Amino acid sequence: MHRMKSLNTSAFAGLALVLALSGCRPDGAKKTLPGVELYAACASCHGTDGFGQALVAAPSIAGLPAWYVEAQLVKFRSGIRGAHPDDLEGLRMRPMSRQMMDEGEVKAVAAYVASLTPMKQAPTLTGADAAAGAGSYATCQACHGVDGKGNEALKAPPIAGQYDWYLVSQLGKFRKGIRGANPKDVTGGQMRPMSMTLADDQAVKNVVAHINTLAK
Amino acid sequence: MISKYVDSVATFSGDIDHLIWVITAIVGFWFLLAEAVFFYLIIRYAARDGVRAQYVAGEDPKEKRWVAVPHYLTLAFDVWIIFSAISVWQEVKQTMPQADETVRVIAQQWAWTFIHPGADGQLDTADDIRLVDELHVEKGKTIHFELQSRDVLHSFSVPVFRLKQDVIPGRTIRGWFKTTQAGAYDIQCTEICGIGHAIMPARIIIESPEDHAAWLLSQTPATAALTTPTTQTGGMP
Repeated sequence: MHRMKSLNTSAFAGLALVLALSGCRPDGAKKTLPGVELYAACASCHGTDGFGQALVAAPSIAGLPAWYVEAQLVKFRSGIRGAHPDDLEGLRMRPMSRQMMDEGEVKAVAAYVASLTPMKQAPTLTGADAAAGAGSYATCQACHGVDGKGNEALKAPPIAGQYDWYLVSQLGKFRKGIRGANPKDVTGGQMRPMSMTLADDQAVKNVVAHINTLAK
Repeated sequence: MISKYVDSVATFSGDIDHLIWVITAIVGFWFLLAEAVFFYLIIRYAARDGVRAQYVAGEDPKEKRWVAVPHYLTLAFDVWIIFSAISVWQEVKQTMPQADETVRVIAQQWAWTFIHPGADGQLDTADDIRLVDELHVEKGKTIHFELQSRDVLHSFSVPVFRLKQDVIPGRTIRGWFKTTQAGAYDIQCTEICGIGHAIMPARIIIESPEDHAAWLLSQTPATAALTTPTTQTGGMP
């Protein structure tokens, strides 16, 4: 009898171990992880402080408004952004966005990103004329604002303080249809023709150099 | 038996399954036999009161046979395994049957891009069909693939083909397969390639000639302009 009891205990312990290792929750409840925990997936590229890193082309995301981060995560998850064969960085971001298992987790991580303290990133551009870019910026400021702080009502994110190489890269993608060309990408579709108003690569650099001068 | 659990849909996948069975059967036979002899000897010659243990050096031919005979038999079986393996290797990796179509497979952290030759059957032309995550092939056609990487090592693995081939940056690695069954199957990366390695799955869609033609038509010519190769973009200016 005693032996039977110890056998049952072992069987239960074994079953509990198998369930634990298989990741099953006995109650079957789905749990949304807190933003700080979910952010661990982002931190390897965007950094624990959210400042990103040029080496892996990860932009600074610290302090971006939650609505924008959420909208972009939704786009990445559904293949509206980052699914173009030439979008090298977008294709890297797309599977990472799918680390967020549902809408609740997207919201949680977006809120955490928004809570990080932003920092103005140092300029890296050379051969750009900020004064010449100021004229072109007139088109951008209609949505992104004179100070580059964005406008939620128009779904325009803040751009002041972002890495200049990232802005150049994204403008290039918009211009080539690598970003914003998906028919379901409403705001990207609005941004594309705006990016086309910049005549060439030099004009892109100039306007980004002007954005560099905007205080955050 | 293996195909009961994972479909076998390439002309050579059955041969690879057979090789796995040959190795499993030979190694399994010797493993079980060795364990049986081992445990028999442990029990038969367990310590007993009044019996002194003795050291057996194996110099007596009668004793040496216990090692020598299995040794030579194992070598003979090894030769069998090696010849079976070489014949499969020769079939899968060393020969390239005439291609009906060539596709390019581009791996990157953490996605697969597949370049299909389009209606003209030629790669690097305006009607190339570039898709992320989906490779479309026609059932029964011999497909050559060109593997390229944009960044680090990856490995192109199609479990239903029993095919696995490393993708090495800076090189174009060629291989082939010929499908035997229509369906949609997994493609996965089997070389750790960074934090997103586990989440870069893709699908191979094997279609009947009619379905493949319909798919090809749906991708051309209306979308041909969109799929014209564009310049690669990087994160830095």
